[in-house]
Amino acid sequence: MAKFAKPESIVNTTEYCGGCGHGIIQRLIAESIEELNLQDKTIGVVDIACSYWSLDALDYDMIAGPHGRLAAVATGIKRVRPEANVYVHSGDGCAYVIGLSETSYAAIRDVPITMIVANNGIFGMTGGQLNLATTLVGDKTVSSKAGRNPDTMGHPVDMLKSFQNYDVEFLARGALYDVKHIEQTKKFIKKGLENQRDGKGFSLIEVLSPCPTNWKLDPVKAMEKIKNENEKIFPVGVYTDRGGVQ
Amino acid sequence: MSADYVLMKGNEAIAEAALRAGCRFYAGYPITPQSEILEYMSSNMQKYGGTFIQGENEIASMSMIWGAAAAGARCMSSSSGPGFDLKQEEISYLSSYNLPCVLVDAMRYGLGDGEITAGQDSYWEAVRGGGHGDSRQLVYAPASVDECVQLTYQAFDKAEEYRNVVIILTDGAISQMIEKCTLPPAKEHDINKFDWTLTGKPLGVKKNKVYNLDHTIGFEAWEKLMRNKFKTMYENEQRWEEFQTDDAEIVLVAIGISSRVCKSAVRQARKEGFKLGLLRPITVWPFPRKAFEKMPKSVEAYVTVEMGMSSQMGEDVLLAMKHQKPFYSYLTTKYIPKAEDIVNFCKDIKAGKVQQTEVF
Repeated sequence: MAKFAKPESIVNTTEYCGGCGHGIIQRLIAESIEELNLQDKTIGVVDIACSYWSLDALDYDMIAGPHGRLAAVATGIKRVRPEANVYVHSGDGCAYVIGLSETSYAAIRDVPITMIVANNGIFGMTGGQLNLATTLVGDKTVSSKAGRNPDTMGHPVDMLKSFQNYDVEFLARGALYDVKHIEQTKKFIKKGLENQRDGKGFSLIEVLSPCPTNWKLDPVKAMEKIKNENEKIFPVGVYTDRGGVQ
Repeated sequence: MSADYVLMKGNEAIAEAALRAGCRFYAGYPITPQSEILEYMSSNMQKYGGTFIQGENEIASMSMIWGAAAAGARCMSSSSGPGFDLKQEEISYLSSYNLPCVLVDAMRYGLGDGEITAGQDSYWEAVRGGGHGDSRQLVYAPASVDECVQLTYQAFDKAEEYRNVVIILTDGAISQMIEKCTLPPAKEHDINKFDWTLTGKPLGVKKNKVYNLDHTIGFEAWEKLMRNKFKTMYENEQRWEEFQTDDAEIVLVAIGISSRVCKSAVRQARKEGFKLGLLRPITVWPFPRKAFEKMPKSVEAYVTVEMGMSSQMGEDVLLAMKHQKPFYSYLTTKYIPKAEDIVNFCKDIKAGKVQQTEVF
């Protein structure tokens, strides 16, 4: 059910660009945490890139990790405070490119954390460079001005399919381009947090998220691009659910 | 209250001292000559109810420590040579975020892959390093297994006192030698002891945000806080040992395994009436400049003995004695120095046969 009241955990404004998906993701995280009554034991881990903005916006204990290593930071916190609700809000450059090793090994260790990764196909904070994992073939970025050429830059990778090789609790991909998909994404995030609450293993929820500023599209066209192009390469849905379908 | 004497290898003694100091989180990656620390932690951490993680790499290990330290645990990691290089990013961040942790660097010789055996040429990395920006780390240089134990045990308190990284700088010889040591009593650390940790807190309670403090107190106040922290460490933490310096003509300056050989050299020289002395820095950052202010008038020259190919500690010695005395370095690269050779080198200095060492 759609809610219009602001979650009480959101206590500050952010400086996300207009039309950015991170703000929606941040809100879905806050709503899910509140609906599960997990505020009191939540510790958030954000990157020193775009998700950094949510560090002051949310009324939780929060830490900014080294770029890429959020899954490892969260592992350290969770091992010291197993009773805490530890979530990660990361971008795809952080989780899938520079920090692929840390994300993979948190999954391989099946650390009971909830990791939310915005897949926007670009390096947002640094000004719109190519993302080796998620920039679509042909997409132009400031470091691939003629478009991504798979002959020299390889193809984008569906990381959830890679992580399916590991024995983890939950892998799912959502999108934000309409209410139906936002609701589905929230369901996935909530499921990831429930898994952690119930002492289950590693959960990763990827979210197809727009970056109008660096895609050089208006917010509506950015959402349309996700629906018409990105989702074709990165299909939404549940990839792994060890606990079985509800 | 009985003293607990044991025979232990340097690396293992460091690990045991850390556990007894309340270290309950270790993450690291194997590299010679420090792997016994990781192995010892893997076997013994569980007894103390803590967490041992063999990390997928050095950066991941340090990032786990980043989280564990912020959550309030006493944490440690260890490495050597190229492995320690990879910890630099996090060292800078941890000191900047005011997070305490203890790191061990068991120096191996050489640049690049170098050798897996003892060296002392990662001195600069430890005392000038700490990644990007001008952070400082408290760096201890133990010269015996017992001192490894005592300094590691204290290092955790110091890391929390300053909310900063503390480095135990050994070398491949100190870390591998087996000696008698006294183990201090085991103590527990309360992860809820401090008010700056991440715990998860109810609505209405002020939350902790672990990042550069400039966001909350303003950049200038943050800068002042950092500078004060490093300056206080510099003023209060200089430690050293003097050995027969009272009437010395030549004062040797050395750490770790080299300092032990220097002690033999001093004894040997004095048997022949040649007055050598030894000044052994126990902290290398802060370098014990205060010790140099108190050196007797009899001192004619300073000589560093270092396992390296060029003098690194010489820079600190020249600053500490304000370029007032002739300076020489006896450099042995990957070889542990011999007492007799040190004495002969000093005799040659006395005889005017040795040119002063250029520090570059």
